[in-house]
Amino acid sequence: MPFIKNILSCRSLSIVGLEKNTGKTVCLNYVLRRLHELGVSTAVTSIGVDGEQTDSVYATAKPEVTLYDGMYLITSERHYLQRRCVSEILDLSNQRTALGRLLTARILSSGKALISGAAATAVLAQQIDHFKQQGIQLTVIDGALSRLSLASPTVTDSMILATGAAVSPNLQQLISKTRFVCRLIDLPEVEPTVRTALSQASSGLWAIDSDGLAHDLNIPSVFMLSSANSDLFRYGTTLFASGAVSDRLLKILAAKEEIKQITLIIRDFTKLFVTPEVYNDYVRRGGKLLALRKSHLAAVTLNPTSPHGYALDSHTATQALSDALNLPVYDVMKIESIS
Amino acid sequence: MLLRDKLHSDPGFQYIIDALNLISAAGRRALLDFPFLTTPEAVNAELDNLEAVIGVVSVTENLHAVSEIKHHLMCLHDSQGTVANLSQHSVINEVELFEVKNIAYTAAAVSRSAEPLGLKEIFSLPDLSDVFTLLDPDQTGLPHFYIYDSYHPDLPDIRKRLKQLQARTDDPEATTLYADLFAQHNDIQHSVEASLSQQLWASADRLALAVKRLAYIDLLFAKAGLATAWNFTRPQIAVNDSNSKFKIQNPKFTQYSALFNPRLLHRNQERHLRYQPIDIIVQPGLCLITGANMAGKTVLLKTLGIAQLLTQFGMYVPAESATVTLVDDVLFCIGDEQNEMNGLSSFASEIIKISEVVQLSASQRLLILIDEPARTTNPVEGKAIVQALSDILISRDSFSLITTHYSQLGVPCRRLRIAGFREDLATAALSPENINLFMDYSLVEDNSDTVPQEALRIATLLRCDPDLISQAEQHLISEIEG
Repeated sequence: MPFIKNILSCRSLSIVGLEKNTGKTVCLNYVLRRLHELGVSTAVTSIGVDGEQTDSVYATAKPEVTLYDGMYLITSERHYLQRRCVSEILDLSNQRTALGRLLTARILSSGKALISGAAATAVLAQQIDHFKQQGIQLTVIDGALSRLSLASPTVTDSMILATGAAVSPNLQQLISKTRFVCRLIDLPEVEPTVRTALSQASSGLWAIDSDGLAHDLNIPSVFMLSSANSDLFRYGTTLFASGAVSDRLLKILAAKEEIKQITLIIRDFTKLFVTPEVYNDYVRRGGKLLALRKSHLAAVTLNPTSPHGYALDSHTATQALSDALNLPVYDVMKIESIS
Repeated sequence: MLLRDKLHSDPGFQYIIDALNLISAAGRRALLDFPFLTTPEAVNAELDNLEAVIGVVSVTENLHAVSEIKHHLMCLHDSQGTVANLSQHSVINEVELFEVKNIAYTAAAVSRSAEPLGLKEIFSLPDLSDVFTLLDPDQTGLPHFYIYDSYHPDLPDIRKRLKQLQARTDDPEATTLYADLFAQHNDIQHSVEASLSQQLWASADRLALAVKRLAYIDLLFAKAGLATAWNFTRPQIAVNDSNSKFKIQNPKFTQYSALFNPRLLHRNQERHLRYQPIDIIVQPGLCLITGANMAGKTVLLKTLGIAQLLTQFGMYVPAESATVTLVDDVLFCIGDEQNEMNGLSSFASEIIKISEVVQLSASQRLLILIDEPARTTNPVEGKAIVQALSDILISRDSFSLITTHYSQLGVPCRRLRIAGFREDLATAALSPENINLFMDYSLVEDNSDTVPQEALRIATLLRCDPDLISQAEQHLISEIEG
């Protein structure tokens, strides 16, 4: 009920957990239930393969996702065969994953299923487009912020972030970590002309000159960059890093005298593997960060219980996080019981 | 011998094969597994099919039906494993049953689209309507699949009860009951899968045939598309008088008019350079090809090899007209086989390859293409090797073409010279880029036993170092006088 109205104006939504055990699946189940009740035609898939039935790290029971009749599902063959719902296979793709090929099915009678999907952003984008064309109102993607995921949840229009005591049992730390990620999610998007200019830039470091043209700096990896690269700004101070960006690059840039003019463009917030300290330093010195693509953060949910058994006080935690983020925050465990 | 074995014989051949636009994975496999055809009947049967498809595709009214067929081919999944499972009498699961239903659906759909095009005979898809009916008990006519209620009397009730249990979300007991009931449901599903699988075992061969035929249809359309887009022609196959392919009473020949090399043609077009197609007749025995550098001798050999391969893999050829005599294999000895990693020098690999050619030619009819044999060793022995090679190949049943710069070989065989550099056409200063404009690539029968000596003339026109050239000319003069 709370944030579903926000979501309905989008055609695609990803639900992303900051860590494992932050209640992402509980959140996903809630969203799907509400969508079903509102009669919204829905398709569901996942980024990559993440389908252990019990969490292999903490051995906590991992609930599967409940799908309702009329919904569409894209998942892998092996997971499909383990479902506990009645459904009809509509299509089989040639996309292979570690769990077999991906298939599309329509749910005939509600039940649970394990969802695994394509690990490539381009494939996900295609799937979302395909569903749009079929007239499906909303595609929901079970996301992941894992470093191992090749696909980015920013392929969807909007996003729900799931956080919780699993991130840190200490409320202040939980708040600061979550707030940092939200700040990254919120990095502004580049102009469409810039996105077009960079569409061919698939690897390495690039620069955009004052005419808006992209130039390959021929630095295939940030590891080949040293503080001594004097011609880094030969095309200007607007740079694009197509891969992962770590503290190393931000530190090098922050140390440059041109720092106040530097704008670093990244693909999306999931490519930033930086610590808050280094990030803040870079920004404080005048450096700017933009993203090629961003998703709108529709809501934040909190799981007050950590897998170690520790529990935060629901009311205090959600209130404090909400104040810090300036966004409504929902206790995901309580949402489920709201009808 | 399959196409995949010859794919890397020459980059120009690979360029053509890569350009074939196959829609399905099965189609791509059919391409690579296509056999090298060695009888006129087999080649002509294949070319007849191709001609029929080309005829159909060139008619505008047929475009809709053709694109329907291609659309169906796109839905052909990679079902090798599933069909194999059925052949081995295994039980297949619902995803595999979906694949089987799809094969039946696609075969029927393509057949239906092919009928008004007059291609049904060529496509000859088996009738799988019984398979489709088995997997479509509710007569939806759709390629979707699940274990329908109709398959088992207990299913409708169990599913109804599951629905009711699912609705009781707050009841923990309901969850356990649901799990138990679903287990029963799955048992029934599995028994249905087993029963359906058993009923399908007898159809495994027909399903495999359907996939094979669909893959072949994909391949035919790809070949047709390429032949049309690149202006290829159907080669006429020269038929031997006697039945035995080793004892040819009246050996035929191979002839091309306006033969071109597509990779080179396209490259030249991109660079706005002219391209000159060639007319040539190739006879059994040996033909020596001479000509100045950059006169296209190597390209000629490669193109002849490509055209022969295309013919015997059932495709049209890049020429205005062609008559081709079939061979048992095409051997390319072109390019530097030097490979320091293998420990073989240029000469060593070359002479080994030439030796293999000589031995194979004793018992097979081949198309042998050798570019400048023995160029990597001293000219005295080199010439002797070329003479020996020529002696042998003259008397063989194969079509051999050797390019060489060696003069006065004293070998009684046919000679073709590439007309070469036309100084009278050179109106501007020469450069490596424009020299192509002044080359006449056509072939001239040459009865002399000498090779043209245009190297220094060309070097002069390219404004090479005058000292170098005058010194070379000095040496030439003393050689002749001395």
